[in-house]
Amino acid sequence: MKRHHPLQLALVTGALAALAAATPVRAHHAFAAEFDSTQPITLRGAVTRVEWINPHTWIHLDVKDSSGKVVEWMIEGGTPNTLLRRGVDKNSLPAGTEIVVEGYRAKNGTNRANGRDLTLPNGRKLFLGSSGTGAPADGKDPSEAK
Amino acid sequence: MTRWTRKRWLAALSVVLFASFSTAAFARQGAEQKAKAPARAKAWTPPRTPWGEPDLQGVYSNRTITPFERPEEFAGKATLTDEETAELERRVVDRSADKRDGKGTEADVSRAYNEFWWDRGTKVTTNRSSLLIDPADGRVPPLTAEAQRRALDEWQQPALRGGGANGRGADSYRDRSLFERCITRGMPGAMSPSAYNNNYRIVQSPGYVVVSIEMLGGTRIIPTDGRAHVNNGLRQWMGDSRGHWENNTLVVETTNFTNKTLYRGAAENLRLIEHFTRVDADTIDYRFTVEDPTTFTRPWTVAVPYLRTDEQMFEYACHEGNYGMEGILSGARFQEAAK
Repeated sequence: MKRHHPLQLALVTGALAALAAATPVRAHHAFAAEFDSTQPITLRGAVTRVEWINPHTWIHLDVKDSSGKVVEWMIEGGTPNTLLRRGVDKNSLPAGTEIVVEGYRAKNGTNRANGRDLTLPNGRKLFLGSSGTGAPADGKDPSEAK
Repeated sequence: MTRWTRKRWLAALSVVLFASFSTAAFARQGAEQKAKAPARAKAWTPPRTPWGEPDLQGVYSNRTITPFERPEEFAGKATLTDEETAELERRVVDRSADKRDGKGTEADVSRAYNEFWWDRGTKVTTNRSSLLIDPADGRVPPLTAEAQRRALDEWQQPALRGGGANGRGADSYRDRSLFERCITRGMPGAMSPSAYNNNYRIVQSPGYVVVSIEMLGGTRIIPTDGRAHVNNGLRQWMGDSRGHWENNTLVVETTNFTNKTLYRGAAENLRLIEHFTRVDADTIDYRFTVEDPTTFTRPWTVAVPYLRTDEQMFEYACHEGNYGMEGILSGARFQEAAK
């Protein structure tokens, strides 16, 4: 049997325990493995289509770059199942809707990002403002009753 | 340990430690949670199926903010007061405020998206301070020395690294977790609360109980007709389950696991005992006991209320568009090439 340094054992055991403790609330996959925390990005553009698929939705967006050229971006969101439960469906975000995405660019250098924070240009949280959705409130949405 | 394996080991460890820290906020949320225990059956008699078994059928959710293990702040305290419960629930509302305090950090990336995409629940579902009820400290018992050594060995085998709760490394899809690969959360992971898709449908027929699982899909068909387990050599990712009735409780024993799934270090030697007891019209007291003397220094038991829900079950066809896997692997290649 291979010999292991006791510190390695302690570290691995500790790391496993910490992971296990964190496990119940994870997303389906590790976003930090897919997106780059050192490349935060803000995108503003018009929705071209929504891929209403599992395990995660993808919102396609036409974004004008600094030279005025239109570039397509893909934005990763959560499972459609949760949105369905909140009364949102694939027609809730029609093509042409302008949205603002704050997120992180994909590590693979493509025009993909996660939609860490999705808002409408007026600052209203995307989907969150839909009435009767039961979505968690964050107090920032002007439509939320104080 | 060769330089190569040491490098791999350190890389893997740093990924895991990082992941641990990045999810620390969520772990803390766990600490914020607690729940109203299902009112334990008093004199309530469950309805029966036409063929005379206790009727467990329906759609249930096990969503809860009660932490899996007892947080340090509740050490020595198995149950919580109403005030502590209110405080936990208040903290969850606060958590749901979509804070961006860690902007530009891996922790913020790990939060993935706005809170409205999550469905972790906002209420306790038991007055216990942890889902884990035995041992009495509410903590998973220590691993055996053998299991600690094995954990480290497994750590160095790419084919097994993806078998645990979390993937480590991104050389191949095989390095990623079975959950990320859309395969399975294994057992008893598949029966434990998650961040969304926490619904289950139970259907009975004479001689069988069927549990349909929303997260990642999958259906457990559990014979209750007294037949023996399959041959010991036949190993399955979800094990081999056999059920029987003890009064009003369905008891299910699952064995024949593979070495391809890891549950907190346990694999093919895992023996899982589940108890399903309908304690009132809307609640199943669900418990599982984890037994594996090669992995844990003692058996341990978790109790999770399953609450009847009007939700309908949705398909979670995870392979439909698992672009995330492609993104993780191509991202790793891109970053290697950039070095």
